[in-house]
Amino acid sequence: MNPVTAGIIGIGLLILLFLLRMPVAFAMALVGFAGFAFLTSPKAALTLLSRDIFDTFSSYPLSVIPMFIIMGTFAFASGISRRLYKTAYTWTGQLRGGLTIATVFACAGFGAICGSSTATAATMGHIALPEMKKYKYDDKLATGTVAAAGTLGILIPPSTVLLVYGILTEQSIGKLFVAGILPGIILSIFFAATVALLCWRKPSIGPPGDPTSWKEKLRATTGIIETLILFLLAIGGLFLGWFSPTQAGAIGAGGALLIGIGRRQLSWRAFFDSGKEGLRTSCMVIFIITGAIIFGHFMAVSRIPFVLADWLGGLPIPPMAVMSVIIFIYFIGGFFMDSMGLIVLTIPIFYPLVVKLGFDPIWFGVIIVLVGEMGVITPPVGVNVFVIKGIAPHVPLETIFKGIFPFLVALITMTILLMVYPQIATYLPNFITY
Amino acid sequence: MLDTFEKIIRRISDWFEWIGLAAMLLMMAITCIDVVGAKVFQWRLFGAIDAVMLSQIVAIAFAAASVLILGRHIQVEFFISRLPKRVQAVIDSLVLLLGLGFFCLIIWQLCVLGYSFQTSGEQSATADIPYYPFAYAIALASIPVCLIFLLELIKSIGRITQK
Repeated sequence: MNPVTAGIIGIGLLILLFLLRMPVAFAMALVGFAGFAFLTSPKAALTLLSRDIFDTFSSYPLSVIPMFIIMGTFAFASGISRRLYKTAYTWTGQLRGGLTIATVFACAGFGAICGSSTATAATMGHIALPEMKKYKYDDKLATGTVAAAGTLGILIPPSTVLLVYGILTEQSIGKLFVAGILPGIILSIFFAATVALLCWRKPSIGPPGDPTSWKEKLRATTGIIETLILFLLAIGGLFLGWFSPTQAGAIGAGGALLIGIGRRQLSWRAFFDSGKEGLRTSCMVIFIITGAIIFGHFMAVSRIPFVLADWLGGLPIPPMAVMSVIIFIYFIGGFFMDSMGLIVLTIPIFYPLVVKLGFDPIWFGVIIVLVGEMGVITPPVGVNVFVIKGIAPHVPLETIFKGIFPFLVALITMTILLMVYPQIATYLPNFITY
Repeated sequence: MLDTFEKIIRRISDWFEWIGLAAMLLMMAITCIDVVGAKVFQWRLFGAIDAVMLSQIVAIAFAAASVLILGRHIQVEFFISRLPKRVQAVIDSLVLLLGLGFFCLIIWQLCVLGYSFQTSGEQSATADIPYYPFAYAIALASIPVCLIFLLELIKSIGRITQK
């Protein structure tokens, strides 16, 4: 059988296994192993299977993932997120829709020390939703905002999705992280503007909270100091070339731990629980990367990525039209799959094409994170929406999905803006050498 | 009988997760000590990178069973959940059987890899730590994963035969 045909059948089988609810990591590893065995030899595939597992689990570049993940879980356990929300709330709470605006900025702030959109949405959901309920905010606005703003966690550095993208494509983690900063800030402003616009059109959905004095505002500002310290230490150290990505994550995790101990907020139980939470997420992510690597070997011997790159690259259409098709595929794929799964699955297929078409890999990383963000808030597999549903069980899923819609428009606008002005993502990485 | 089997697997997975947690905290501690040592005292922790790499093997492998029990792996849910319960159980059984077979294969191959490391004396680059115990460790940590697949398979078959 032609390797390309075998590859296409393999992709079909993989989609079938996904639909049959096999975990994405296992399905990719299984199909990758079987396909590699078919195209080379069973003996070679068996050797590759154990070698890939051992090499991926022991990969030093991958150790950045657990480090940045536990930085986020320790930061949460240390109460940093709660103080961050209080600061944002004191500054904007008295405005119309102020609590939701505070939620957006608190999510952006927490995104600067946590690399997961689900964790950001869950953390801020637990803090912000009860407050918004107290002030009789509209459920659609409140839940939609937290679910959408939670996605800032994977755009603003550190970002687990950008980490995985960087590892799979061998791009600089530092450059990818810094590339996410400007789009993250602009998107936060877009989200806040969306809230302001919605509340301006219908003031009853976001009544203003209690006014605060300037003294209170200034005092509350100390709540961002810890986040700022952690961000400057870990991410700043990475940008300045002081630390390797793994070292930056470990220093950030250690710093979050010290803050929790110093503030006497971190009990032994919270320490172990947050550690286990970080371990579980890390395990899930590293398993999925292992599956993607095994699947990637199958794709390489099937030659599909290269044939696809040659075919699409030779079409008489502008590269941006091809890119629009790729983005559309990610957008549709995001409806059915988690962003991490989608990215690790498609990178071995699309990345060679993107490079061949002459697009900046750093810019492409930010673009697919943005499109992936849409995936985590759109039905039927909107992970963030399910997280918010878990925190606010009284709000119907349909209401949360409806609440998402205006923010989806903001995300699409941001993506188009980034396609028209790629410098938004590519300008800052010029200053990074690591 | 099945309940006792489940309790035993959960307990083993729980112990293994503690081992994984200890390894992950060790990764963090080693890296922090190495960085602070290098930046502040001009002193590097010997074999720090090797220790982090090998600790990561233990951390990830030993957390695998708990992650599977807690359903933390990414799955595509929207299709199966629309099917009748019995059809779901049939499909689940097939998928679990595939998973069980695949992980048995992984255990076998990791033992083969471990043996090849043992006979060839392959070691880490700096600290000369032998690799073979870690290949065996992944195989060992995959045993509860197989047992979870087996348990879920038995449960799933039970759901098919249920009236």
